[in-house]
Amino acid sequence: MRSSLTPFLLRRFTLRHWRLAPKQSALLVLILALGVAVFVAVRLANRAAVASFSNFTETLTGQSDWSIQAPAGTLPESILPELRDALDGRPVHIVPVVEVTASPPPSPGNENKFGRPSYTLLGVDLLSVANLARPQDKPFFNQSVDSRNSDADTGDFWKSFNAGPQVWVSRDFADPLPAHIDLVIDESVRTVPVAGIIPSAPDAPRAPPTLMILDLAQLQKLSGKTGRIDRVEFLIEPGPRADERRAELQTLLVDLGRHGERWSVSAPGAKRDSAEAMTRAFRLNLTILSLIALLVGLYLIFQALDGAVVRRRPEIAILRSLGVEESAIRRVWLWESALLGLAGGALGLLLGWAGAQIAVRAVGQTVNALYYSTTVASATPAPSEIALSIALGLVAALAAGWWPAREAARTPPAQVLQRGAAPAAGHRVMRSLGFGLAFILAGILCAQLPPLRFDGGSRFPFAGYAAAFLWIFGAGILCAFLLPPFARLARGWGTRFAPASVALSHLRAPSGRHRLAAAALLCAIGMTAGMAILVASFETTMQGWVKRTLQADLYIASSGAQSASSQNRISASAAQALAGHPAVERAAMLVAYPISLDGIPTLLSGVDLTDPATRPDLPWVKAPRDNSVFDPALNAGLALVSESFTERFRLTQGDTLTVPTPAGPKSLTIAGVFADYGNERGSILADLPKIRAWFADDAVTNVSLYVKPGVDADTLRAELIKTYPGLSIFTNARLRSEVLRIFRQTFSITYALEVIGVAVAMTGLALTLISVLLDRRDELTTLRALGFRRREIALAASIEGLAVSACATVGGLALSGALGWLLIHVINKQSFGWTLTYAMPWGQLAALAVIVMTTGWAVSYAVGLWGADLPADREE
Amino acid sequence: MAAKRRKMRKKIPHLLFLLFASFAPLCGQTSAPLTTADGFAVPQPGHIFTFPRDHGSHPEFKIEWWYLTGHLFAKDGRRFGYQATFFRSAAPDKSTHLHLAHMALIDVATGKFHHQERLNREGWDARSSTTTLDLHNGPWSLRFLDATAERMSLRGGIRADVGFNFTLSPAKPLVVFGENSVSRKGSAPTAASYYLTFTRLRTEGVLTLGTESIAVNGESWMDHEISSSQLDQNQIGWDWVSIHFTDGRELMFYRLRLRDGSSDAASSLTWVDAAGRTQKSNFKLDVVETWKSPATGAVYPIRVRLTTTDPSTGKPITLHVEPLAKKQELTGNLGGIPYWEGACRILDDSGRELGNAYMELTGYAKDLKL
Repeated sequence: MRSSLTPFLLRRFTLRHWRLAPKQSALLVLILALGVAVFVAVRLANRAAVASFSNFTETLTGQSDWSIQAPAGTLPESILPELRDALDGRPVHIVPVVEVTASPPPSPGNENKFGRPSYTLLGVDLLSVANLARPQDKPFFNQSVDSRNSDADTGDFWKSFNAGPQVWVSRDFADPLPAHIDLVIDESVRTVPVAGIIPSAPDAPRAPPTLMILDLAQLQKLSGKTGRIDRVEFLIEPGPRADERRAELQTLLVDLGRHGERWSVSAPGAKRDSAEAMTRAFRLNLTILSLIALLVGLYLIFQALDGAVVRRRPEIAILRSLGVEESAIRRVWLWESALLGLAGGALGLLLGWAGAQIAVRAVGQTVNALYYSTTVASATPAPSEIALSIALGLVAALAAGWWPAREAARTPPAQVLQRGAAPAAGHRVMRSLGFGLAFILAGILCAQLPPLRFDGGSRFPFAGYAAAFLWIFGAGILCAFLLPPFARLARGWGTRFAPASVALSHLRAPSGRHRLAAAALLCAIGMTAGMAILVASFETTMQGWVKRTLQADLYIASSGAQSASSQNRISASAAQALAGHPAVERAAMLVAYPISLDGIPTLLSGVDLTDPATRPDLPWVKAPRDNSVFDPALNAGLALVSESFTERFRLTQGDTLTVPTPAGPKSLTIAGVFADYGNERGSILADLPKIRAWFADDAVTNVSLYVKPGVDADTLRAELIKTYPGLSIFTNARLRSEVLRIFRQTFSITYALEVIGVAVAMTGLALTLISVLLDRRDELTTLRALGFRRREIALAASIEGLAVSACATVGGLALSGALGWLLIHVINKQSFGWTLTYAMPWGQLAALAVIVMTTGWAVSYAVGLWGADLPADREE
Repeated sequence: MAAKRRKMRKKIPHLLFLLFASFAPLCGQTSAPLTTADGFAVPQPGHIFTFPRDHGSHPEFKIEWWYLTGHLFAKDGRRFGYQATFFRSAAPDKSTHLHLAHMALIDVATGKFHHQERLNREGWDARSSTTTLDLHNGPWSLRFLDATAERMSLRGGIRADVGFNFTLSPAKPLVVFGENSVSRKGSAPTAASYYLTFTRLRTEGVLTLGTESIAVNGESWMDHEISSSQLDQNQIGWDWVSIHFTDGRELMFYRLRLRDGSSDAASSLTWVDAAGRTQKSNFKLDVVETWKSPATGAVYPIRVRLTTTDPSTGKPITLHVEPLAKKQELTGNLGGIPYWEGACRILDDSGRELGNAYMELTGYAKDLKL
């Protein structure tokens, strides 16, 4: 009776049950699979959204060794000869790069929307990239669109070289290649000839379809960056002592850049790392949410296996009396869990991969809206993720199967005699009021802890999530204590109606199964409703903020500005022309530059603080103590910062920070803190003339126009759009709705995750009732003998189900109130630094309650009908 | 005339196309127009060179190059041959210039040949001064350290495997090839160049080879040629040889090969005596051995016999040109077709070594099309 018994027992014992009740086993696998699938989908989508972000330059040059970038703004070209001289003949390629985002011009129907596709335009000296000794590459200046079909040698080098701006695109861009492409860069629409396909070496990553390449000088001209570059990449020549030379180059670049003052030096992949860091909190939050379904599933697997133990007790007892040891029984049960887990994990991987193809778009849109321009390609699981998802299914199943396996093993042989004995009341943890309260208390303590902080300024509220899970478990336990009082309350009614009386009698002493079903449902409801509260609070806050900050009649930005990181601007002349339009009473300009503060990306913006009209627009979190920040004579060293900024940099009112600018580092004291829900990176707001002087640039990021009385904003918008086809012009109402649309889009993926969680919990309720009814087969026989009809048996079951649903709903809603508070004041605040006003979405909560209870009732009724047809005695 | 250079792939047609220019057949008497049809300057007879200005760049001319070849010796007896070349070529519309550069090294002991090419447009990473010798292309540079003494510095190398850090000083005065400041290159009136050569430059410095820094010294030859003329359609390539004799004289020979296999009338052989005076002489060339490049399939006459008259004795002399290594082909593809440019030594009939040489063989790659 050693382990060689296990295969025999599995075959004759476990598999026989699976064969006899294939649907139930399949359902268990499906629940597990769903839990794993959601996790996998979100993980894959997350990875795709981040992986798509890269420097792109490697498409052309291979991976560079170092890259330098100004801490704010661009670098002047004059540093290039300086760098070359400083390198003193060292064999290093110096590759200056300009990177610009652009989008296709608005087409009728989408001119009013954010989130149109955006292209990354990369400007590199296309002649000198040929020096990078990539023999597979074809040179740029001899290609033509037709060269794909004919002899490439027919291209004329000089004709191509002197052709003016022309763009090379990815092989995946379009087939056939268009002769021209329209691009919105800053406020202008440019028609640029398509010169050919980006040549790619076999070892280089293939150019993504959104990447376009232009000659450096041409892109500088097109984007108004003549004489400026965004970064310089360095590639050391291959040969001996490469590591030594690479390190030496770094030292030299760091010294020459005056340790970050002129420029910062970063290694390849650093940009991707910072993109990862930037979105880490967002992605972790999603990952946690994606575990809801699995968590709910965990309850159910536990419950199903526990149910199986109860049902198979007679057989276990026989095995025991035949001398099979406890350990062998336990092993078989764990094997059963493991097999379920493996099957669930594998199926979950497939479902998850399919789901990722949808989720990836949602995640990509959010990343685009909140962080940076990303081109989401496809989400394919890596081998590690395949292993992870299988392992997740396995671990979940084993964790859930552990206790039932122990119970099974402990079944005393004598219990066989008590067929139909009262089902177990459940694990003592589940029955302990003390444990439940202890969990809640531990959660309260966790909620007081600060977040974990990562490089790059992102924060993760680990303790906050721990608190949430503790509360969910605690509430799950406590919820079952609602069942007996509920039953007692309903007794008066129950005595007059036999099916109710039967149902309520069961609830007065709830079984472990009831407890688990209630806990699983509560978990799903609590999290769903909690999230709904967060979203509602966010939305209410957002609406208030939008109402307060969006006062102008028209909002204007380059329609190339499609992402939070876009640097498309409006030229000073266009901005002046807009402001000077006869129908315009007043105009406000905003400039914003991405800067890097201690290596953490944030925004430095400027508005006219001295304009008295600016002030009421600012939603204060901490208002300035006096008016000096608005006084041009006094505000030289003062700035306002957004709330996210204070959280991210741990600075607040009265603190002084040093910001890098092209004019050198500037010291600013924080005079006040304002709310800004549009930007998670945080922003510093200073007086416009100062920012303009520092950046020596008079282009603006946004213009808002206040029209004269009697002028119709829509009419003016129509007129301006004709004059400036490259500008996105929003009316106030339109912008408000757009902002809220993006906001809701951001949460769309979380809604999907919740729906799945609730669906799993509902399945769980059905499963519970199925096993409950199977347990009570004798009772059903008795009821039938007493004259209960099929419909009455179903009614009894439905009342039982409804009662469990009702308790879970009541408990779940109470839990959601707490979770909502936690999400708003701890998790959100710690992750994003936004203060939200608590708002209850009563309608949504009521709808959720009604849906859960109705579904619970209907599902239970259906199960009851099935139970009523159960024969009196049969192998399950 | 050291005029060099190859026909190019069509990739970057005009650049090396123009490098061919000065090989058009010599012709004679027509007075030179001021500019070519496309508006570039034409070398004028009687031009007075001013230095160091004329060692610098002449952007009004379409094409210009500075061409160094030399032999270097280490204390332990190891020897090396090197090439360092800077080209400038104007855009047809004169909007910019392209700068091409080639570097090569032959390690005679191992037979390992290194080479690299570099192509940049005029700008921060490639430029040539118009006031003195000051050339840059990426990390490579050639410039005067002392314009009066005409002492120059060469910084270059081949990837990170080879580094050149040499100082070069003229051992003999500058030679101006041609007549009346102008070296005529063909029948067209515009086909001419200014052709300036330091036939013998004492060269010393540090050669980096792998992780090793080797103190070397030796002698180099430097051509500087300026022109705007066009290639003769009938020429398919050329052979060029420069010789440093141990007796202090030099010899420069080139043969333009015509499509029909004959030599163009412009082909010539010039002796430079110890004082720097030039004298043309007759020549006869026989191919002794060819070598087929495994990389390009081109068959190069890498061992030749040059028969001429030694002006110091008035007697015929046979010069055996022997490559120090066969594999000295520059196979690069940035600027044009492959060519062979190799360090050689010169032997007489008895096998006595008379000096060191560099030989250039172009137009042998089989894909060559005009």
